[in-house]
Amino acid sequence: MYDPENRLTDAYEPEVGSIPADEGTEDDEAVVKTGTTTVGISTEAGVVVATDRRASLGGRFVSNKQVTKVEQIHPTAAMTLVGSVGGAQSFIRSMRAEANLYEVRRDETMSIHGLATLAGNFARGGPYFAINPIIGGVDEEGSHVYSIDPAGGVLQDDYTVTGSGTMVATGTIEGEYDPEMSIEDARALAIRAVTAAAERDTGSGNGVVVAEITADGVDIDAFGDYASAA
Amino acid sequence: MQGNEQQAYDRGITIFSPDGRLYQVEYAREAVKRGTPSVGIRTADGVVLAADRHARSPLIERDSIEKIHEIDDHVGVASAGHVADARQLIDVARRQAQVNRLRYDEPASVEALTKEVTDYIQQYTQTGGARPFGVALLVGGIEDGEPRLFETDPSGTPYEWQAVAIGGSREDIQRFLEDEYAEGLDLEGGIELALRALASINDDGLDPTGVDIATIDVESEQFSTLPEAEVSDRLAEFELGGEE
Repeated sequence: MYDPENRLTDAYEPEVGSIPADEGTEDDEAVVKTGTTTVGISTEAGVVVATDRRASLGGRFVSNKQVTKVEQIHPTAAMTLVGSVGGAQSFIRSMRAEANLYEVRRDETMSIHGLATLAGNFARGGPYFAINPIIGGVDEEGSHVYSIDPAGGVLQDDYTVTGSGTMVATGTIEGEYDPEMSIEDARALAIRAVTAAAERDTGSGNGVVVAEITADGVDIDAFGDYASAA
Repeated sequence: MQGNEQQAYDRGITIFSPDGRLYQVEYAREAVKRGTPSVGIRTADGVVLAADRHARSPLIERDSIEKIHEIDDHVGVASAGHVADARQLIDVARRQAQVNRLRYDEPASVEALTKEVTDYIQQYTQTGGARPFGVALLVGGIEDGEPRLFETDPSGTPYEWQAVAIGGSREDIQRFLEDEYAEGLDLEGGIELALRALASINDDGLDPTGVDIATIDVESEQFSTLPEAEVSDRLAEFELGGEE
């Protein structure tokens, strides 16, 4: 017999696929983590998201030097990959699937607030293994930057930083941010912040990836050295 | 024997007859026609839902005859057909509206909500042991500042309308609406048209306690029902009231 209860979508789980089972902690040493510095800055014209490119094992060994830690999840939004690589990658795939389903069913794209709320619910509802991403996007209401914490906290701000290099990168942006700054200036500031963190934080480094998000879409570029990014 | 063969396609589970019909769904539509009518009007300022809720006896408590229901702040539903079946669908819509708020922290879109309900209805036309819903609904509400009005039928098909009638005398009321509906209507004009449409099939006029009216306007985006005194005033103004 058809079970009517199952028709209701769980607000805390992806509609397709499933949240991975508890990953446990015994293999913690072998889990690749991003360490990471990810920065999101919103301006009137759009949002800039910048990240470093390092993945590390236990904070002692650089296991990958060309990670792209910001990915498009929506026609006009991107999300960063912070925490365990496996958890963050499956999180990004789930968010992308949800945004696609929403769009194809309703013939309109999800608002950035809706996207961030959903991400917070998933973080809260399942063991995505200590992820701490930034969502940057543009919708009818304008430009938005949100940070999602591992317990499902969803906070909007003009600019935000997550990852092990947070202290250094935040210090770089603090006092320099101006809500009326151009997207070019925001891009330069985001790159400076990631560069500073790469200098001082052992979990961050190996270049920078920059995503520029406007009403027209998401544009992601990777740079092996900081000078060519700027 | 011919008779027995025909019956085989309209008993128990919903299966196709050799000529491609789903008798159980067609019978469910007949059940809708046996109900008193409901009317929905979309105007530039919002949506009007109106329902005939005639009482069988003067001793019944009028408020216990429910034909218009609030789904969420910005959405309402009027029904025609089996009230008990309607209540199940209304609860699906109410819960789905809250799931949308939980999931996205946003009010549900009227179209998406309607399609959740029609997908639910459809399951009951294709599942063994299930009986289709003997009810049609009008789902009215505000979505992104725009008024929207949908109909659900027992097959689980959603339709969007400018003005529509469901239930008994549907054809007559729909013809009336087709003649009288004008696109530039304001909300007050929509209420008048809805009342006139219900009165058009009622030679004895309308009794203020026998009509339910609700509106969802674009400004407040709030579902609200019209108090009986205001229904009474309008019936007097439009000379639609019955003889006292």
